[in-house]
Order: sequence, then structure tokens, then C-alpha cells
Amino acid sequence: MYAQLLTFGAAFLGSAVESVEALTIVLAVGLTRGWRAPLYGTVTALVLLGVLVAVFGQLIVARVPELTLKLVIGALLVLFGLRWLHKAVLRSAGVVAMHDEDHAYAQAVRSMQGAVERRDWVGFTLALKGVFLEGLEVVFIVIAVGGTSGGLHIAVAGGLLAMVVVAAAGFIVKRPLARVPENTLKYAVGVVLTSIGTFWAAEGMGAVWPLDFVSLLGLAVLYFAASRAAIAVIRRPVAA
Amino acid sequence: MRFIRAAVEEVVGLFVGDWTQTVVSVAILALGWFALPRLHIAGLAFVLCLALASQLVADTAAEARRARKT
Repeated sequence: MYAQLLTFGAAFLGSAVESVEALTIVLAVGLTRGWRAPLYGTVTALVLLGVLVAVFGQLIVARVPELTLKLVIGALLVLFGLRWLHKAVLRSAGVVAMHDEDHAYAQAVRSMQGAVERRDWVGFTLALKGVFLEGLEVVFIVIAVGGTSGGLHIAVAGGLLAMVVVAAAGFIVKRPLARVPENTLKYAVGVVLTSIGTFWAAEGMGAVWPLDFVSLLGLAVLYFAASRAAIAVIRRPVAA
Repeated sequence: MRFIRAAVEEVVGLFVGDWTQTVVSVAILALGWFALPRLHIAGLAFVLCLALASQLVADTAAEARRARKT
């Protein structure tokens, strides 16, 4: 039950963050160049991403032995999660600017000046590329958390629900979801994914965790504490 | 072709943001892979987590220093 909740939650949150970024691109294209071409581009990208999940998800679940799967996916999740944590620490410490959907939207709109033809290939390609590239992270999160825990359908449901919620919110407000605490969400998902990755990678190496799944809480606390320590170290005034 | 190159860069970028951090993380994981099955010590896996967490602190602090210099 807890494992399923964790799988669903991690897939939902990770997908929500990336869906917000993809939505910004689609909105920018749609509101500047018309909706037909970006919607075709979005649907094409979603079909491609769905094929990737179906093919790689099934292939991984059916063909790879459980321990090898945990080791490889766990190690990849560690690298993936650490990358998100790394960025979150630098953003929280003020070294890197916070991701701003309004700014990203304005930048995308500026890059799309020019006449729109009847068949708007620019709009189609921009939406396809934006949704597909942002969606690759969703595909990895869904396959990684779903494939390794044996709950691929739960992870797919979490990922799909996140996309539907974000798309519905974007349809209602018709502007980038700048008020979604994207940086905080990414920070939290980074801690969760790094913890899950470490848990599975160590199990794949043959380790047995004390209290089994409860150890995940300890790992999350440790990674969170380390990230706060990193922020404190970076913010510490440098001696002249 | 540009789309495929962007997709490949995106896939590599999923796991690699900073090459130093990636190489150190992979080295820690490889060390764990070597040591964990041989040394049957309860809780040793937490050392793996500690090592990864420490390199996060060291690497982000180093990047912040580099960013301040430029």
C-alpha cells in the first residue's frame, strides 16, 4: 500500500513539474500563432511518449531480472535526482535564478515573431519539440518508479493524472502557471527520487535495509539535511 | 536531424548536469557495488547515502564558488 502510494506520488509530482514547463511552451505557441498546429504537435508528442513508455516499460519489466533492474534503475534515479537536487540547492542559495514561467513564456513568445502560414509548421514543430523533450523526463520517472516497484500502471496513472490536471488548469487560466511553486516541487521531487534511487540501487547491490521501506524516510531526511547544509555553506559570507 | 540531436542531448542531460558530480556519484555507486555484497554489515548502505549526500554538499559549494569568481 505504502509502496503504491509512493510510486503514484513520485510519478504525479515529477510529471506535474515537467507538464507545467511543457504547458508554458504550448500556451506561448497557441496564443501567438493559433491553436490548431500546436495542438497537433502536442498530440503527436504525447503519442510518441506513450509509445516510449509502452515499449520500454514492458521490455524492462518483462526481460530484466529484478536485482539488475533495481541496481541499474536505482543508479540512474540517483544521478537524475541528484541533478535536480543540485539545481534546487543552487537556486535556493541564490546562485542560479529561480525558474520563472512568466519569463519563459515571454521569451518563447519573442522567439515566434513572424507571419503565420496556413499550415503552421513552426507552431507544430515548437509544440512537438517542447512537449516531447519535457516529456522525456516524465517517461523516465514513470518507467523508473513504476517498472522497479512492479507498479507500472500506477506510475502511468500518476503521470497521466498530473498531465490532465496541469492541462485543465492551463485551459482555465489561459496563461502560464507561474504561481505553481515549481522550484519547491522540483526540490521535493529531487529528494524523493534520490532517496528511492539509493534504496533500490543498494538493494540491487545485495544490501538489506533495516525496517525495509521505512528506511526510505531516513534516506529522505539525510538528503534533505545535506541539501540544507549545502545551502548554508554557500550562503556563508566569504572571508576577505 | 536537429530534433534528434536535441532529444539525445536531453536524454544525456537527464542524468548529467555537471560532469564532475556525475563521475564522483558513479564512482561512489561502483564502490558500493563492490563493497556491499562482500562486507555484510547492517546499515552499511547508509554509508553509501552519506557519501552521495556529502558529494552533493561539496559539489554545489564548489560550483557556487566558481560562479562567484566569474
